[in-house]
Amino acid sequence: MIELAHFQVLGAALFAIGLYGVLARRNAVLILMSIELMLSAVNINLIGYAAFVDFTEAQRALGQVLIIFVITIAAAELALAIAIILRLYRNRSTVNADEINLMKF
Amino acid sequence: MIPALSASAFFLIIVLNRVLGFAFPGSRVPSLVAPVISIGAMLAGFVLFWVVLVDLLQNGPGTFSIGWLTVGETEIQWGVMVDKLSVVMIGLVTFIALLVQVYSIGYMKGDPRFGWYFAAHALFAAAMLALVLADNLLFLYVAWELVGLGSYLLIGFWWEKRSAAQAAKKAFITTRIGDVGLLIGIILLFRATGSFDISTIFHVAASGGIGTVTLNTATALIFLGAMGKSAQFPFHVWLPAAMEGPTPVSALIHAATMVTAGVFLVARMLPLFELAPDVMMAVAITGLVTFVFAGTLALVMTDIKRVLAYSTISHLGLMMLSLGAGALAATLFHLVAHGVSKALLFLGAGSVMHGSDGETDARKMGGLRTKMPITAFTFVIGALGLAGLPPLAGFFSKDEILLGVWADLNPAFLVVALFGVFLSALYMARVVLLVFFGPLNPERKGAHESPPVMWVPLAILAVLALGVGFLAFNYTTDYQGFAGFMSPGHHFEVTGWLMGLSIAITLGAFTGAWLAYSRDTISHAALAQRFPLIYRVLVNKYYIDEAYQWVIDHVVLVIARLVALFDRVVINDTGVDGLAISIRLSAMRTRVIQTGYLYTYGTAMAFGVVGLALIWWIFLT
Amino acid sequence: MASLVFFYIAAALVLGGAITVVMTRNIVYAAFGLLASLMGVAALFLLTFAEFLALVQVLIYGGAVVIVIIFALMLTRMDDFRQISDHKGWPMGAVAALAVFGLMVAAIVRTSVNTGPREGVSFTVMGESLFRDWAVPFEIASLVLLIALIGAVVMVRRSDPDDDGSPN
Repeated sequence: MIELAHFQVLGAALFAIGLYGVLARRNAVLILMSIELMLSAVNINLIGYAAFVDFTEAQRALGQVLIIFVITIAAAELALAIAIILRLYRNRSTVNADEINLMKF
Repeated sequence: MIPALSASAFFLIIVLNRVLGFAFPGSRVPSLVAPVISIGAMLAGFVLFWVVLVDLLQNGPGTFSIGWLTVGETEIQWGVMVDKLSVVMIGLVTFIALLVQVYSIGYMKGDPRFGWYFAAHALFAAAMLALVLADNLLFLYVAWELVGLGSYLLIGFWWEKRSAAQAAKKAFITTRIGDVGLLIGIILLFRATGSFDISTIFHVAASGGIGTVTLNTATALIFLGAMGKSAQFPFHVWLPAAMEGPTPVSALIHAATMVTAGVFLVARMLPLFELAPDVMMAVAITGLVTFVFAGTLALVMTDIKRVLAYSTISHLGLMMLSLGAGALAATLFHLVAHGVSKALLFLGAGSVMHGSDGETDARKMGGLRTKMPITAFTFVIGALGLAGLPPLAGFFSKDEILLGVWADLNPAFLVVALFGVFLSALYMARVVLLVFFGPLNPERKGAHESPPVMWVPLAILAVLALGVGFLAFNYTTDYQGFAGFMSPGHHFEVTGWLMGLSIAITLGAFTGAWLAYSRDTISHAALAQRFPLIYRVLVNKYYIDEAYQWVIDHVVLVIARLVALFDRVVINDTGVDGLAISIRLSAMRTRVIQTGYLYTYGTAMAFGVVGLALIWWIFLT
Repeated sequence: MASLVFFYIAAALVLGGAITVVMTRNIVYAAFGLLASLMGVAALFLLTFAEFLALVQVLIYGGAVVIVIIFALMLTRMDDFRQISDHKGWPMGAVAALAVFGLMVAAIVRTSVNTGPREGVSFTVMGESLFRDWAVPFEIASLVLLIALIGAVVMVRRSDPDDDGSPN
């Protein structure tokens, strides 16, 4: 029997993995992919709550609506992030996050 | 009430005069305006003196004060005390100041800072009058300092001359040492009695309210202040140097007024001193030492003014000795007599200088009595007065002092004092003989008598010098001599053997001087060769100035350098600069956090979230 | 029972893909891993009777996001032999991730919610909710998309005549 806990733990695990990816990877595009993973983790959590918790129908519907929004925003953010990376690549011919370090002391 | 009111009124006039004099420096105003204002004020003051005197005799002493400011629980007054002591001083100060200012019109004619001279004079007079009238110690101290300022301004009047500027500095600094002592003494008394008011302090002290140690320390410190102003040994070094100022200034300040401030102070606080017999003894000893010490120095000086300066120091010592013996009336009488005679002598010296193109060296003079008869005549009267020949005032006052010394102190004091008397007569005679008698010095062919505006004051003073002596006697039952005036119940006494002794000594000194300087029977040059060491020591003023300079160089300046070092290293480098440097260093270390790497920021954020959650968990649930 | 097995398969897909994304050296493998992970999420959506969401997930993520990412990877390729290795401080990153994971698990364990059997929402109800109750946020979301679109275009186009789009 699937329980809410399954979804929650899965969401947590995916989030943690995504976080590791953000911290450890140096290619900017890979970092972006990891961010997508983290957002997906949020979606998993949301759908778990929407399905299992004792909600009214309207509230369950809200859960799904929220997921729609998350996906939307994720897509928008992705587009902009790619644009930035491309611009950065054009100017500095690198996507190595370590070499993009001008915002420092 | 009335005497106090009028008394405060007239030194207000002086102050007003000072303000006006200050506002119109001589160059912008016709050159007679300043002296007119100043002399007018002094004249008004002198007239008021008589009013006050009469009032005092009719109504007795009184005080008048206004509240000035309140600090905590203490109210500080601005008050005036009129009693016999202050009245006598007022009379002396106003009269001498008046005469000196009239004299100065002639002496200072043509000086570019003519107006400022009178302004400074007026300031000085105001301060001195305030000092003698003050009824509380704080006011007295303020006036005391103002007197010091006035003397600084006047001594350094010709400050373009480096020696004059330095002399003014020397005067101020030397008296400052005394002033600090005075201030500490005043504070001690304030702490012991809770008041600055003099009569209150006397009350508390008389009823035993001040501890012996405090009393002794305070009176000793007050005497320290008096030593500074009255040029007692070893603080006498400023007075000879102060001769750099204009001669009328010396007449006023160093004969009759400023230097007597110290004597006045001790006299005013005498009830307190009498409760501290050890300090009184110290006063007497200091006075005696000064009397003889300065007398020896006056003997070898070649500059007329310097001789007079040392003579002043010497007689101030005599006055201190007298106070140490508790003879208040005698001291005051001698103060007046000496003031008159010494002022006369200084003005006369000024007249001599004026007529000799500013020459002051006595060796370059001689036989001037033919050229300047009035000056010579008045000068001789002054000299006789000082040396103490009857019936001039100086004789009676000196005699009273010697009487007091004999009555109160160890006979050894009298012996040494008599030696001082001998010296006193000797050096006065020396000066007179060198300057006015003998063959006319060829350099002085062009000498001439001074204008009337200068010799009239001389004449007036001479008459006074002759006449003041007669104040000493008993006349009516109400007026039993000056002694009776000051302390009712006393009267003038004739002590035959003492009087005869002092007359004999004086005449002996005159003879010796005549033989040495006029007849060359005892050649002083030969004496100088016989005792070269003594002669050299005397001429170099016992090397005291050199000693002071050594102390300054090796002690004072060293300490000053240490303090400067401390200030630079500790306060500036460490405190101020150090603070700035440490801030900059810590900022440099701290900004490393901004690495610019995404990794750093991300990790930090993650840990931050975890940390926050833990804190929330642990502390809030 | 079957649902549990189905869940585990989906979970394996999700996590496996995710691990591929964060660990592999080959960036193309990483892209495909992402795709796999997202498909796993779609499966999970199906498990909870959110069919429309599964559809949207596949369409948008699989169809658009991954494609764009692959494009980005292609466009920003440096010379073929240069690989960007992971950051030198990756252990600390692992620790951080683990810490966060632990935190979340602890939170999960400690909280209790009223649960019931899984239930979905019908498609019409969701549509109504989206377009009626949450119409305003919907419009705003579309506005956000528009802005992102414009922004991306502005950022990438060549701004001056000398700029021909190639590096250096």
